[in-house]
Amino acid sequence: MLKTLAILIVTAVLVLLDVPSMLKNKQKKELVVYSILLFMGVGCLIMLAVGMKIPSPVDLFLYVEKPFKNILQIKE
Amino acid sequence: MQTDKVTPFQFLVLVIFFTIGSSILYIPSTLTIGVQQDAWIAAIIGNLLGLLILWFFITISMWFPKLTYTEVNEKIFGKFTGKLISLLFVFMVILFASALIAQSSIFLITQMYPETPITFINLILVIIVIFAVRLGIQTIARSAEIFIFFFFFLYFLLMISISPQIDVSNLEPFFQSKMSSLLSTSFKLTAASTINSVALFMIFPSFVNEIKKCKKNFYLGTLIGGAVIVSITMLCILVLGSNTTASEVYPSYTLAKVINVGDFITRIEAFMATLWTLALFFKVALYFYAGVFGLSKILNIKEYRLLTIPVGAIVLVISIIIFPNIIYQRIFNEDNAIAMSIVVGLLFPLLATIVFLLRKKKFKKDPDFAKSN
Repeated sequence: MLKTLAILIVTAVLVLLDVPSMLKNKQKKELVVYSILLFMGVGCLIMLAVGMKIPSPVDLFLYVEKPFKNILQIKE
Repeated sequence: MQTDKVTPFQFLVLVIFFTIGSSILYIPSTLTIGVQQDAWIAAIIGNLLGLLILWFFITISMWFPKLTYTEVNEKIFGKFTGKLISLLFVFMVILFASALIAQSSIFLITQMYPETPITFINLILVIIVIFAVRLGIQTIARSAEIFIFFFFFLYFLLMISISPQIDVSNLEPFFQSKMSSLLSTSFKLTAASTINSVALFMIFPSFVNEIKKCKKNFYLGTLIGGAVIVSITMLCILVLGSNTTASEVYPSYTLAKVINVGDFITRIEAFMATLWTLALFFKVALYFYAGVFGLSKILNIKEYRLLTIPVGAIVLVISIIIFPNIIYQRIFNEDNAIAMSIVVGLLFPLLATIVFLLRKKKFKKDPDFAKSN
């Protein structure tokens, strides 16, 4: 719980760095992209802090390249 | 909009750091696993192959000297397909940045800070990189300009202080490996250092001062960086022997450990570790810059600095989860990273060339097209 709180506080400080200038210049698209990306990043960080396991991108690669390896008959 | 430009010398320094990058840590062992004591020959072949690929990249980038790599993709493939390809490029670059951060923190943890949790070292590295990229490419380039002297001072110190322990018989017998295995091993080096320099094409034609001079410096920087890698590989084999080099995870670090000048100057490897920390930092910063800047170009965002913090958070997450153990690192470095480099760095530029040649007449009327060709 403490870790989650710490992440949220740091995020809030970081948001204060960039968001006011975006609001002032009425950059709507920038704000949307910023929020989506930040939500993804911070969400995953909190998941890690709580102790959930996120699979590594390397596992994804192994899954994707399996059919190609079968077609090309590459032996491991 | 970013307007700062890089001078030819700064560009040369950036290319040198980018080429050396992570290769200085891993390449000696990767090459010796493939071809034992002939690894230095593979390193030389890999660099020559790299120059050829670089020539190909530069030819493509010279068609539209005012545009960055992602914009060239959009111009050649059309809006939708171009953006899709650029997105894949951004994905690769961000993934490589996170992988490099993970690799350097694993290196720091296993060799220097065994008690520190890995998350904190990742965090510190990510914060530094975000700082650097927020300040702009000019700042990165100027700091590289200062650090290159320090880098080469340490490099020559390493070369000179290790030279008494050289045993030439470690190199024998020459040319024992087959030509095919020599080529396939040297291609690993080319993929790691030169094909990935496709990330530098976010800077090269559009954000440099004198394009002609920078073009020359691009080749020169790749050659100097390649020479450093060849010499480090050679020293590893000469001092440690090919068997030890192949079985070590960080052979060049082990090389610094065995330095012994008159039983007085010994164990200066922590000092020498500055070498690879510097090279790794600049490579990560350039990857991250290319990723963030490319993403802002794809989404038509004027100020790329706004994206540094959210993308930095994602990089931090990926750098924590990507390598749960060292096996993943081996798989990633030797299969996945090379496959991705080939697809994004070789296949798409080749496709771009074909499409460009088919539609050349249309591009001739384009205002961004270079008048010289």
